[in-house]
Amino acid sequence: MLKQTWPKQIWTGVAVLVVAALVLLPLLPGAIDSYAFSFLFFVFIYAIMAQGWNLVAGFGGQISLGNHAFFGLGAYTTAILWSGNYLWGSLYEAYPRIYYFDPVTMVLGGLVAALAAIIIGMPLLSKLRGDYFALGTLGFGEIVKVMFINGGDFTGGAFGVVAPASTFDTLLPHYLVGLGLMVGVALAIRLLMRSRYGLALIAVRDDEMAASANGIDTLRVKVAAFAGSAFIAGIAGSLYTYYLFHVGPDSVFDLDWMLLPLMMTVVGGTGTLLGPILGAFVMYAVFDLARIVVPDYHPVISGLTIILAMLFLPKGLMRSFGGRVRA
Amino acid sequence: MTFNIPPPDILLQLSLNGALGGAMYGVAAVGLSLIFGTMRLIFLAQGAMIILAAYFVRALFYGLGIDPFLSLLIVVPVGLGVGWLMYQGLFRRAAAAEDRNISLLIAVGLMFLIQNLMTVIWGGNTAAVVTSYTASGIEILGVRTSFTRSMGFLIALAGTGLVVLFLRKTLVGKAVRAASEDMEAATLMGISPHRVNAIAFAIGIALAGAAGVAVATTFPFNPFAGFIFSLKALVALALGGIGNVAGALAGGILLGLIEAYVQYFISGGWTNAIAYGVFLAVLMFKPEGLFSRPYKKA
Repeated sequence: MLKQTWPKQIWTGVAVLVVAALVLLPLLPGAIDSYAFSFLFFVFIYAIMAQGWNLVAGFGGQISLGNHAFFGLGAYTTAILWSGNYLWGSLYEAYPRIYYFDPVTMVLGGLVAALAAIIIGMPLLSKLRGDYFALGTLGFGEIVKVMFINGGDFTGGAFGVVAPASTFDTLLPHYLVGLGLMVGVALAIRLLMRSRYGLALIAVRDDEMAASANGIDTLRVKVAAFAGSAFIAGIAGSLYTYYLFHVGPDSVFDLDWMLLPLMMTVVGGTGTLLGPILGAFVMYAVFDLARIVVPDYHPVISGLTIILAMLFLPKGLMRSFGGRVRA
Repeated sequence: MTFNIPPPDILLQLSLNGALGGAMYGVAAVGLSLIFGTMRLIFLAQGAMIILAAYFVRALFYGLGIDPFLSLLIVVPVGLGVGWLMYQGLFRRAAAAEDRNISLLIAVGLMFLIQNLMTVIWGGNTAAVVTSYTASGIEILGVRTSFTRSMGFLIALAGTGLVVLFLRKTLVGKAVRAASEDMEAATLMGISPHRVNAIAFAIGIALAGAAGVAVATTFPFNPFAGFIFSLKALVALALGGIGNVAGALAGGILLGLIEAYVQYFISGGWTNAIAYGVFLAVLMFKPEGLFSRPYKKA
């Protein structure tokens, strides 16, 4: 229908304008030290996580409840490499300091998470469907957390790993890297979803049997989406480590890293490209506002917001106002 | 790590305490099983409801002097009512939607809401219910265990027994079972899905109330202790076989045993990982649960 093409172009235009404004924001005097700056940094992290969850659940139709584990794996990988304690002699000398915002480390963080996703995803996705897969990933997340608590010196046990904090003096690099990753991930997923692979993924989501009958290797498609989702989550975890300088099992394996992005995606619009980003902006704003206005009650307000959003906006913002029915 | 086989009385002690404690997961799992069976909803707020019930029991005890076990007579009917209202107010619309994330997220929102309301009302510190018999023990098969743990076990048995009787012997129970097996077919046979869902919810929350009594009398608790209960109940559910009510109780007891053994033979730090490992293994290799016979193909 003609009517449906319009809102899509409008959304794209708005997205480009917003990104341009965000890129130019640091040039504004005082912006870097303002509260909005750190607010936006967190929105970026959540938007990246949400986009990752949307890939496997929204486009792929496999509800993962274990994305916090991948976030934590990426965060730990970064902290362990960055702190340098465990890199053995020659390799460490050849590559002396794993630098601040080192892209190699960030990619490694994503790869470790993706590898874990492939290892756990192959058996889970071949055997389990629907709710059982969701339950399985939830169990996986808890197992990974316990493993890191019991990891001894390598993972720092219950305390975790501290990274060298000497390089930190401004939030600007975090902001820019976060923004770049958010936009980059969105563009990559847009590209992916328009490729043969993306079509196969949608086909598997909508009717696995039919997809399989048409020659699609459904297991491979599903595992790849799960691994891609984990890769994105791992990168987000890496970004968070560069912000916090400390990873611990209770902070990076916190269930919130799975639940909040999930919620943001659903509020924004599952299976849409801009939905996760929009959801991250709106929901994080609601939470943060509640934290400032009613500090004692803010988690109560958060819970209430989720319930109200789901009762009255079950289709998500993008599909309620964006006009597109299905991705 | 040396692996000595402990003397039989210690083994017996471990088994008994593990089984008695595990019954609590079991009773939570029975509630989850009903809700999951009819609505296909992973009701993550179940643990939070259990802790809420525990606080309620505590308030009844310290405020009105009502004995915790006697308060079952209040908590269970209140739970039935709350469960019914909860379904009608929160889940009725979402249950009809195709996207099941919505129900899941409402449950998550509810969990946040309850946890934090409890923190606002009662504070975040650990609370406990201490009665004159809290410290007393009893002897079963020559092994000592605490009185409250045994009572918790009895509550779990009675609760599960009543639910099984209800499902087997009443027409409404039959409808719930039919809906669990195939909601679409059940609807075609004239069963109203909303009614069945509401009943499952009412019983599920009433069981959370019963579990709350057991928790309040046995363990210290805090507003955030519920989530781990939800997870353990899920594990028990998977062990017992989703949709198998008596199996859920058995799954809980088995989980309690596994935890007790792991704690003794390996270390307390690994109990959760091993419990979830067993959970994953069961999901993968015997997704119908350890105790269920495929009753569809009878």
